[in-house]
Amino acid sequence: MASGSGYFYTSYRQALAVFDTAFKKQALFALAIAVALFPLVGSNFQVHLVNLCFIAVLGALSQNLLIGYAGQVSLGFAGLFAAGGFTAALMVKELEFSAFIPVVAAASAVGAVLGVLVGLPSLRVKGLYLAVSTLALHAVIVYGASEYQHRLGGSAGIVIPKPSFGPLIIDSDREWYYLLGVVAALTTLACINLVRSRVGRAWQAIRDRDIVAEACGIPLVRYKLLAFTVSSALAAMAGAIDAYHAGFVSVEKYSFLLTVQYLAMIVVGGLGSILGSLLGAFVITLLPFVIDFIVHIFPTPERLVINILQLQRIAFGGVIVAVFLLEPRGLVALWERVKSFFQLWPFKFMVSGLR
Amino acid sequence: MSTPQPLLRVHNLEVTYHRKLVAIRNVSLVVPAGAMVGVIGINGAGKTTLLRAISGFLPGEDAQITEGDIVYQGRSIKGLQPHETTSLGIALVPERDKVFLTLTVEENLAVARWRGGSSDGKSQRRVLEQIFEWFPLLAERRRQVAGYLSGGERQMLAIAMALLNNPSLLLVDEMSLGLAPSVLAHLEDRLRAIREEMGLTVLLVDQFASMVIRISDYCYVMENGGIVFDGPPERLLAHEDVREFYLGMSDSAQGVKSYREVKQYRRRRRWYG
Amino acid sequence: MDAQLVAQVVVLAAFYSLVGTGYVLVYRASRVLNLANGELLMLCAYFLFALTVLGRGLLPLMVLLALVLVAVVAGVIYWATIRPMTGHPVFSIVLMTVGLAIVLRGVSELVWTAQARYPLEVLGITNKTLHLPAGAAVTVVEAGAVAAAVLFIGGVIAFLRLARIGMQMRASAEHPVLASQRGVNIHLAFALSWALAAIGAGIAGLAFAANVRLEPNIAEQGLRALAVPLAGGLTSILGTVIASLMVAMSENLAVRYADPLLAGVVPYFIILAFIILRPWGLLGEEEELERV
Repeated sequence: MASGSGYFYTSYRQALAVFDTAFKKQALFALAIAVALFPLVGSNFQVHLVNLCFIAVLGALSQNLLIGYAGQVSLGFAGLFAAGGFTAALMVKELEFSAFIPVVAAASAVGAVLGVLVGLPSLRVKGLYLAVSTLALHAVIVYGASEYQHRLGGSAGIVIPKPSFGPLIIDSDREWYYLLGVVAALTTLACINLVRSRVGRAWQAIRDRDIVAEACGIPLVRYKLLAFTVSSALAAMAGAIDAYHAGFVSVEKYSFLLTVQYLAMIVVGGLGSILGSLLGAFVITLLPFVIDFIVHIFPTPERLVINILQLQRIAFGGVIVAVFLLEPRGLVALWERVKSFFQLWPFKFMVSGLR
Repeated sequence: MSTPQPLLRVHNLEVTYHRKLVAIRNVSLVVPAGAMVGVIGINGAGKTTLLRAISGFLPGEDAQITEGDIVYQGRSIKGLQPHETTSLGIALVPERDKVFLTLTVEENLAVARWRGGSSDGKSQRRVLEQIFEWFPLLAERRRQVAGYLSGGERQMLAIAMALLNNPSLLLVDEMSLGLAPSVLAHLEDRLRAIREEMGLTVLLVDQFASMVIRISDYCYVMENGGIVFDGPPERLLAHEDVREFYLGMSDSAQGVKSYREVKQYRRRRRWYG
Repeated sequence: MDAQLVAQVVVLAAFYSLVGTGYVLVYRASRVLNLANGELLMLCAYFLFALTVLGRGLLPLMVLLALVLVAVVAGVIYWATIRPMTGHPVFSIVLMTVGLAIVLRGVSELVWTAQARYPLEVLGITNKTLHLPAGAAVTVVEAGAVAAAVLFIGGVIAFLRLARIGMQMRASAEHPVLASQRGVNIHLAFALSWALAAIGAGIAGLAFAANVRLEPNIAEQGLRALAVPLAGGLTSILGTVIASLMVAMSENLAVRYADPLLAGVVPYFIILAFIILRPWGLLGEEEELERV
């Protein structure tokens, strides 16, 4: 990227560090402080909103790893999210076991196994056909889940108790905030390292030109399936955590629309970017509330106020269309443009090298 | 006596790709009406870029005309879109991918849009009959799917399709690629006949220099994005460097030199002029 | 296998092939799955509903107008959103159609609310039952839908094969650059493809609305029909027709002899089977499966 800042590495350690510049370290520190102190100044509702965003971050990261970094199209998110939720539900209901960490771990494991299944078509097809096969598998998983739910007579859904760590029970929004914040932060860090590692590089090579990647000695089968496994495990983990957070599990919420929401997150935020996943997760999660806010602040015709759900829907679809028409590479690209502008000013572009 | 206005005049043309890479610079050439003008040069000299600039296909390759002008029939056509240049009478026979592989020969010919009103259905049919006379092979293979035609037949079909655009100026890009000498000779002969009967003006671009020199009225030699030499065929044949580098006719028994040798040679011996 | 089952299969197949042809036409032109096809289906039905204010007795005119309107909408969608995205990866364009679908659904719900409507009731027309030989029974609308499907699909196939513009559309779909070098206005050709696709989906939507009911979520019928072009071949209309009979038969058999809930999932099993065995469907071109 364009960088006229004149910042250079002076040691290997610096080049390998995740947060390489002093500015980044300082910014991160400030961000951490802000995040930690937020619940003390924000209202319950606002904290709740951020909790939703934290959960969304997990799902968005899982999708971006698979689609943005590894280049494998998948429409199966909702199925894997459901798998996580229903694994939790199964363990709570059938095994009467509800300790948080083991259940979430089990859900991730189930997700990983399903991920291998969902990923098998990727060894044979790509692109549109792969997307459709993942959609088909999603339908099958949801069908299985709905059969389970209906057989159990729990048509209203299965209740999940609050998570507990020994004597500590996570009950209020603020307590959830810290738990989810830590989980999201750790997951983000893990993903940042993953994409910088050999695995991440292999994925990007496969994404860009898998025939050449194979010629370079990257085993496609192993890395493609790994992408699906990791992504699905993360998605299922998110599903299980979401099940605890919402307090219950029901098959209705795992629709194709859910998949579309998470795809929108990574597209709006930026494919192939961790920061993009975070930005997209926040934007898409908060969008309906922003619409709600706008409608109530400004004088709006009564009819529109009643139909707020439709307005939120239109806004959601509209954001997707707008992003593709205006800046297909997402918010991170927009951010890069702003950054370059200030870094290069008064010049317009860098002459040497290619961007 | 004043010379009649040329059909096409390229004046001081500069084309840039991706706002960074200057592909051709300071290119000027003249195509008189009814003439066959040739452009030779090795791969990468800028010949295809020149044709793209004339026919309006630069934007698709993220390229622009950054200087100079192209004047066709007295008006500037710089920046026109492909379908606009086609309606003005410029037809491009492209380099690769020249025919629609899933359509039959007849259907391929039906796709080309005839320039002129719909009342020209008669003249369109007349040209179609004429085309089948010029290319009896196509008449034989009317209903065959174009994907199964041989290279030479495909080239014939591509030229025929371009002719069905009722052009005044035919741009032919690398017609000789992948064709055996006898097939190519047949095509040259057809092209000559078509020109005579239709009074067509042709701009022929090819790296097969001897063919171009043989059938053109006037030739330009392009190198590294510029025109380095031009003249009627006799002049080109008489020029030592053309003989050596483009025709492989050197007095030593070495044949055409490698490009690297050419570059070094050129540095030592001033080529221009 | 009794006559009633056959009749049901034919009716469902007609519906599927209308929607499926829409997918095929768009795929050939733009190389994408138009996931807003269901919404176009729904929109056309709503257009008819809106036109019922013209009063009864003008049903043929209303049908025609509704189809024309939805064709125009599709053409505009192509021009405004798909054409600028030429050259973008397929995944992005498909997601764009999803975004459009969401917007269209939301707008429809806003304008017409989620209440179920019955256009034929409004017009005072009853959907009589026709008694066919061998004990089968279909409604007038269902019979009309089958006839319309045959006419429309036959017409489209003939048009593409014989008409000059049809050949130009096929040429543009195969090789847009070459087509435009030969003077074809490819964007007009593509817009026409999208318009025709919308008409196919529209006929299906009108039939469904008249036969069952009209509400926003009939758009989901469009997704249900996705199995058909995938099984038949995304580039082949004929393949879609054959596949629609196949899928319709499987669904009806599943409903009758197995679990009714299974009917919704049967198409997806068929999709999976084809992806594993023959990704490009029955009659599709063995394409180099494009990467995202």
